[in-house]
Order: sequence, then structure tokens, then C-alpha cells
Amino acid sequence: MTYTAQKTVRVGLEQGLHMVPCSLIVRTAERFSCEIQIQKEDRSADAKTMLDLLTLSAENGSVLVLEARGAEAGEAVKALARLFESNFDDPASGWQPATGSDR
Amino acid sequence: MQIKRGIAVSPGVVTGEVVVLGTEDFRIPQRFVSIDAVETELGRFRSTLDAVWEEIEENERLAREQLGDQFGAIFGAHLQMARDPKLIAEIESLISEKSLSPEYASSRVLRRFARDLQNLGNQYHAERAVDIFDLEKRILRHLLGERREELLHLRAPVIVLAHNLTPSETASLDREFVMGFATEVGGHTSHTAILAGALEIPAVVGLGHFLSDVSGGEMVIIDGNHGEVILEPDDETLAKYRDLEERVHSVTERLASLKTLPAETIDGESITLLGNIEFPEEAEVCRERGAKGIGLYRTEFLYLERNQIPSEEDHYEAYRKVIAAAPDHPVTIRTLDVGADKVPETIGELAPDVINPQLGLRSVRLSLHNIPLFKTQLRAILRAAVDGDVRVMFPLVSNLMELRQARMILGDVIDDLEEQQVPFRRDVQVGIMVEVPAAVMLAEEFAREVDFFSIGTNDLIQYTLAVDRADPSVANLYRSGDPSILRLIRNVVSAAAKHDVAVTVCGQMSSDPVFISLLIGMGIRQFSSTPHAIPEIKEVIRNLTIESAEQIAAHALTLDLARDVENYLRGELHRICPDLVL
Repeated sequence: MTYTAQKTVRVGLEQGLHMVPCSLIVRTAERFSCEIQIQKEDRSADAKTMLDLLTLSAENGSVLVLEARGAEAGEAVKALARLFESNFDDPASGWQPATGSDR
Repeated sequence: MQIKRGIAVSPGVVTGEVVVLGTEDFRIPQRFVSIDAVETELGRFRSTLDAVWEEIEENERLAREQLGDQFGAIFGAHLQMARDPKLIAEIESLISEKSLSPEYASSRVLRRFARDLQNLGNQYHAERAVDIFDLEKRILRHLLGERREELLHLRAPVIVLAHNLTPSETASLDREFVMGFATEVGGHTSHTAILAGALEIPAVVGLGHFLSDVSGGEMVIIDGNHGEVILEPDDETLAKYRDLEERVHSVTERLASLKTLPAETIDGESITLLGNIEFPEEAEVCRERGAKGIGLYRTEFLYLERNQIPSEEDHYEAYRKVIAAAPDHPVTIRTLDVGADKVPETIGELAPDVINPQLGLRSVRLSLHNIPLFKTQLRAILRAAVDGDVRVMFPLVSNLMELRQARMILGDVIDDLEEQQVPFRRDVQVGIMVEVPAAVMLAEEFAREVDFFSIGTNDLIQYTLAVDRADPSVANLYRSGDPSILRLIRNVVSAAAKHDVAVTVCGQMSSDPVFISLLIGMGIRQFSSTPHAIPEIKEVIRNLTIESAEQIAAHALTLDLARDVENYLRGELHRICPDLVL
């Protein structure tokens, strides 16, 4: 039986989902064995591949759907959602967190 | 079949399989690999990826340490990109399913991603294409770097095609397996060309852009006699060249046996054969070929080799090496013969742009302009002369004042050496290169003030016919057989004879068997040639009488077109030595 988890997030990054946040998504997604897709409107990207994520071209304010399928799907979605919620609050992102929560 | 014309720099004909060397901008050397090589190529790709990852990790670590975390994160992102499973899977499937080379497959997949990003219509993402190109470069550098090393581990004979070969790459070509090479750039006097001659493998340079038509593994013919490269020859051409290759081989073997025989005409006239060299190491090759000394030692190498002015000791050591390799024979050292733009110390003295380097501050003009530079070289020459029969020669002399000034400086150097009690030799012969038409016009006047002339045909032809042969649009106008050139040479010979001055012909013309009978017929008795041409020239001489040579010269001088002169001489050579006309 496949377990599926889903969550909607909003990009709160001035320059959109650029390289460093994408790499953080990949790094997080890689910790899980389940399949994770990130959807933006009619496009979908594998959360474990940088180039796919970059081509999503998720700009500031885009609404994305995180969807995981398989073992620990719920945990995976939660971990990724946390990245968005903290606005990729990583010193390495070189970014000031946007004001206010994304939801 | 495709025929490309370039500049023949090293004679011989060879047929074989192509290996393409990558270029600085990472041209893809080969699009496809053979089916049975797929596994090996996949392995090569995977180990390249490992190396690329390691390199990026190291970049990331250094960036974090030295620049801060946010810069390290950029490489972190690059690393994620390089590890992208989808990317890797796509490249690997192109290799395994379509037999594409790892280079081509990587480039194709990454460029597609870059294009996708550029097409997103978002400035930020469009700029990320640069990051992808960077990754492409990393991967290609690792793949091709490995490839260049493969040159050292060849197992089967190949022909190397490249955009350019550096002199050190040329020198390190494995003579056992590299049968010939051809490059897109380069000219007659490039170091690569000169080294090819020394390696004695057929080579053609200056072919222009052609590598995009070559993937590697094709059949190619290098015709180093005519400066042609034939890609994927048809069966008829292939058969013709295979036959030619065999004939060249047997002729070469026969000519090698001439080494110990004298360079004498049938009627007993002795001709002096000397060698042209650029590197001290080549002096040995000249001796092996039976040269009786060095007629032209181009010392530019000393200036161009490193990005600094050679010291007196650098000069001295190089000259001694040459003298040691030519015991009991003359060694003619030509002083610096390049443009000021090539000599590090004088670059600053130039106007911001050299208007026309061929007509600018070069050669003896440069030496007279920078007397300390000139004196350093002259001191070394006079000191080295203690060990042998050294002669000094000034290039590009165009008026008597230049010769007198150069001699005066030589006199100053003699005084200095004497005063400092440094061992040297004062009675060295002094001569000039006759390579400017003005010097030919004044040959009688010059002859009164020099010990010898050396006719530098390359520059003499260029300045007389006003043709830069490196310029493809006019290169066809550069003709050694031009009647004007023949007349100039005749004038030099007669002026020299009046004043009992020796004349040597150096330059390309004296290395081409076609012109030897003509030159002997005009009174030339000394040739200085590229070492590998010496056996052929000796062969011509040994099949000639002075009388027949004089007849040939007399007839050639009646012809008024370069084409007619050259065709006639080729016909005569065919009659004298049928083997040599290929």
C-alpha cells in the first residue's frame, strides 16, 4: 500500500526558488526514500533533481504543491514544508526571511 | 571525401585513423563510440563524475573557509546539480543506448537544460544557464584531460588532429604511434611546425576551421609534401596514397644510405650542405643527416621560450651545445630576428599598436634600438666562438648604415671582452642575411664590407612580391619560382663573386629539391636546409652535372611566369631524380 502526503506552500523568496534554495530542497528530499514531486500549476518537478526544480521557475509568491508517495511520505512533506515556512532560513541562502508567515 | 589544404611543414605521406584532441574551448572530439566500447566509456564517464564531485566539494570547502558560507553554498548548489540523478541518467542512457561519446552526451544534455532555463523568460533563471555551462566545462575538462593523457598511452598507430598543438605537446608525441598530425592553426615558422620537422612525421598546419567535420576514428590521409589533408578518402584515393606511402618509405630508406657519401655533382664539384636549426637539440639531427655544419641558427627560441630576456649565460650555454654537436664545422649564429612585440623587455617601448609588424621595429633594427640586449647576445657569441668555427649574421639589413652600426657595436663588445680579460675570439666572420630587395640592389656595396651573404628566400620573396603568405587570401601569390626572385638571386651571386664573398641560400627554397639544380646553375655552392631535406638535396646534387645545372638555370631565366618556371623545374627534377617527384 502506498502512502501519500500533500501540502501546499508559497514561495517567499525575492528571487524565487533560485539555486541555493533548490539545492537545500534536494538535500532534504534525498534523506527520504519516497518519491517527492513539487507541482506548480501544470508543471511538476522531482524534488531530488536540481535541474528539474530550477526549470519549475517558481517565482516569489508562486504557490507550490508538495506531494510525496511512499515510505515516510508524511515526514518528507513536513521537512520540505519547514524549509518554505522558514524561508530557507539558512545562513547560506544569503537571504532575509520575508516578513510574515506564508500561510 | 573531403580535401583540406594547409601549410606543409613536415614532409611524407601517411594514412591512418584519426584521434582528435580537444581544444581550449572544449570542442567535442568524437560524437560516437563503437558499440563494444560503450561499457568502457560508461566507466570513464562515472569516474569523471567522481572527480568532478570531488573537485566541486573542494571548491565548496575552500569557498566556505575563505569567503564565507553564502559563497560555499553556491558550490553546494553546483554539487547538487552535478549529482542530479535525472541528468546522470539521461547522459548515461545516451552513451549506452545511442553509443554517444561521454563528451558529446554530457554536452548535449547540459546544453538542453541550459536552453530550457534560458527559455523560461526569467532573467534570474536565464543567468543560471551560466552555471550549467560551468558544469559542462568541468565535466569536459575532466573527460578531455584524460583524453590528452591518452596520447601517452597509445596502443595503435593514429593520426592526431587538433586545433593547435603546443610545442611541448608536439615534442611529447609518441613517435611509435603518432604517424602524423594536422592542426587548424599555425604557420611555417611556428615552433610546432619546426618540431614536427625534427620529429620527422608528416604534418600539415594552418588548415583553418575543419575539426567540426571530424568526430574521430575516421580514415584520414596526411600529405605532408603538398600540405593536404584528405578526410574519409574514397577507395581510389586511398589506394593511390597507400602506394605513394610505400614509395616514399623506400625512397627515404635509400636516401638515408647517402649519409656518408659526399655532396658532389657527377663531374666532381663539391657542394656544402648545412642545416637550419632553431633548438640546440636539432644540431645533432643535422649531423645525423650528414650536414657539414649549421648554416642558420635561429636564436629567437631563446627569447620566446620563456617570458624573460635570456642572460648572457643562457645564450652561451645554448651556443656551446650547438658547437659541440657540430665539431669541426661552421656554425652561423643569426642574431635576434623577431619583432619587438615578441621580446618581453622591449614591449613597453613600442607604440601601443604595431602598425605593421613585418615592416616595423624588428630583427637588426630592434637590436640596434636596444643595444644592451644586442651586446648580451654578441658577447655570448664571441665567447662561444673560442670552441669552434662560429660566424655571426645580422638579419633584415636594409642599408649600409645598419651593417656599419652593428659592426661597430661588435667592435665595442670585443673591446669590453678584452678589457675584462674574458676568453673570446675576435676574428669571427661577419655576414648578413640578404632578404630585403634593397640589400640586393646594393649587394656590391655590401659585399665590400662582409665576409658572407646568406639569402633568406622566405623574407626576400615576401618583401619582393609584397605578399604575406600567412594570409590565405593572397598566399597563392607567394611563389619561389617568380622570375623576379630568380633575378635577385642572380644579382647577389654575381656581386658576391666579384668580391669573393661566400653565398649560402637558406630558407624554404633551399630545402625544396625542385630548386636545387636551378640554384647550382646560378652559381650557388652552399645550401642551408631543414635537416630532414638534406638527404633529398644530396640525392639531386649527386645526379647533376654543373653543365646541366647551368643549362637548366639559363632556360629558367628565360621564362616570364612563376608557374612556368616551377613546372619546368619540376619536370627537370623528374628527369634527374624520378623518385623524388611525388
